[in-house]
Amino acid sequence: MFMSLTRSMGGVVLLAAVLALPGCGYNDLQGLDEDTKAAWSEVINQYQRRADLIPNLVNTVKGYAAHEKETLESVVQARAKATSVQVTPELLKDEAAFKKFQEAQQGLSSALGRLLALAENYPNLKADQGFRDLQSQLEGTENRITVARKRYIDKVAEFNKMVRYFPTNLTAKFLLHLEEKANFTVADEKAVAKPPEVKF
Amino acid sequence: MRLMGRTGWGLLIGWLWLTGVASLPAAALDVPLLSGRIVDQAHALPPAVAERLSADLAAHEANTSNQVAVLIIPSLEGEPLFDFSHRVATAWKLGRKGTDNGVLLLVSIKDRKIRIEVGYGLEGVLTDARSAQIIRNEIVPRFRAGDVPAGVTAGVQAILQTIEGTYRAPEHPTATPSSSDAFATAAFAVILGVVVGLFFSRAHRVLGPVVGGGLSFLAAPWVIPAVMAGAVSLVLVGLLSKLGPSSGSRRRGDGSAFDGTWFSTQQGGWGSGGFGGSFGGSGGFSGGGGDFGGGGASGDW
Repeated sequence: MFMSLTRSMGGVVLLAAVLALPGCGYNDLQGLDEDTKAAWSEVINQYQRRADLIPNLVNTVKGYAAHEKETLESVVQARAKATSVQVTPELLKDEAAFKKFQEAQQGLSSALGRLLALAENYPNLKADQGFRDLQSQLEGTENRITVARKRYIDKVAEFNKMVRYFPTNLTAKFLLHLEEKANFTVADEKAVAKPPEVKF
Repeated sequence: MRLMGRTGWGLLIGWLWLTGVASLPAAALDVPLLSGRIVDQAHALPPAVAERLSADLAAHEANTSNQVAVLIIPSLEGEPLFDFSHRVATAWKLGRKGTDNGVLLLVSIKDRKIRIEVGYGLEGVLTDARSAQIIRNEIVPRFRAGDVPAGVTAGVQAILQTIEGTYRAPEHPTATPSSSDAFATAAFAVILGVVVGLFFSRAHRVLGPVVGGGLSFLAAPWVIPAVMAGAVSLVLVGLLSKLGPSSGSRRRGDGSAFDGTWFSTQQGGWGSGGFGGSFGGSGGFSGGGGDFGGGGASGDW
């Protein structure tokens, strides 16, 4: 009697445990952790692609506008700065390092923007086939970065929610030791916060 | 009315503002319905041209499985070209799932803007530079001359030529994936769990069901089948191990057959193949589940 009682009790407990397993989010957390890593790799991949395009671009512009030293230099420096940031998985956990990475990439974005704006003053450069191709590649890469960042942002939001929600937060904290991941902030907060200029 | 007074109205306006009624105009442009390969909302193409283009695109898809669509809109209404174009392309899911071989040619008449949005799988051939060349050399000169139909036609032809030969249509249309596979795996998980569980239950009454249930849970695909498989194995091992020892012989065959029928009645909880686009209608056109990562080029005229 006692035996069968304990056995059936044990069965009920076990059944409950098995049924509760998916509720704890172990697999979901692991899956999302992997997804965010994949999304992050894609972001890095696209930033790298952009950095790879720059030497060619700088050389092409030099051919037509060698005297624009300042702008050219600033692009080269910004690229060096952006590629010098060590991109490790730890970066995602370190808010400060992540911010540094984002700032470096943003610095490169604005230096590139200045360079392309400068090209408007050189009709020969603008008509150069090589420059046009590079320009479209660069533009495409910027778009890919936008997409990759957006997908990363969405995945991290999903992941961070699971890390914070109950009861999956317990699994994340005690079983998997997962923490919230750093996410991108709006590219240029100052620009967004500034009211639009109206001209008549 | 008099009861409401000034504060009443103030509160009402405040409430409207808070609930967002006042901020409606900022809404983004809707993704147009994918009514065919050529979606011409600006009425820029004569019907004959649209039909011919549509037939070309259909023939191209039949040969290569590449899905190319054209969207012509009157205006972007302030939305950035790339944002809208990428949104439409991903919503339409052009291209096959897995190969992501879709292309969207978008033209906004009022903004005088053109974009070729290229799916992941075609970025290697229809590169950003090549897309830009098509826009610059094929489309823009004709648009500037005022001939939109000719520009769209030339653009589409150039796109098709570029991506010709990258992919070939599958010989046999692929069966809806995974549903039967998932069932087979789940059934296998239950059988495995029961067999191993029964083996362990000789050693220990509680250990058997636990091991069996756990094993089925781990071996089954995805969460819901895994829970079901785990629970079934747990119960089965529990029951069978009680019956087993007295008769001496294990009824493995019975057990697994029972699992199968039980499970087949439970089927249907999963197995949506994930084939994008749900546009019914006879002869309709729908995206195959392709994805876009931002490749392509933009231009204006």
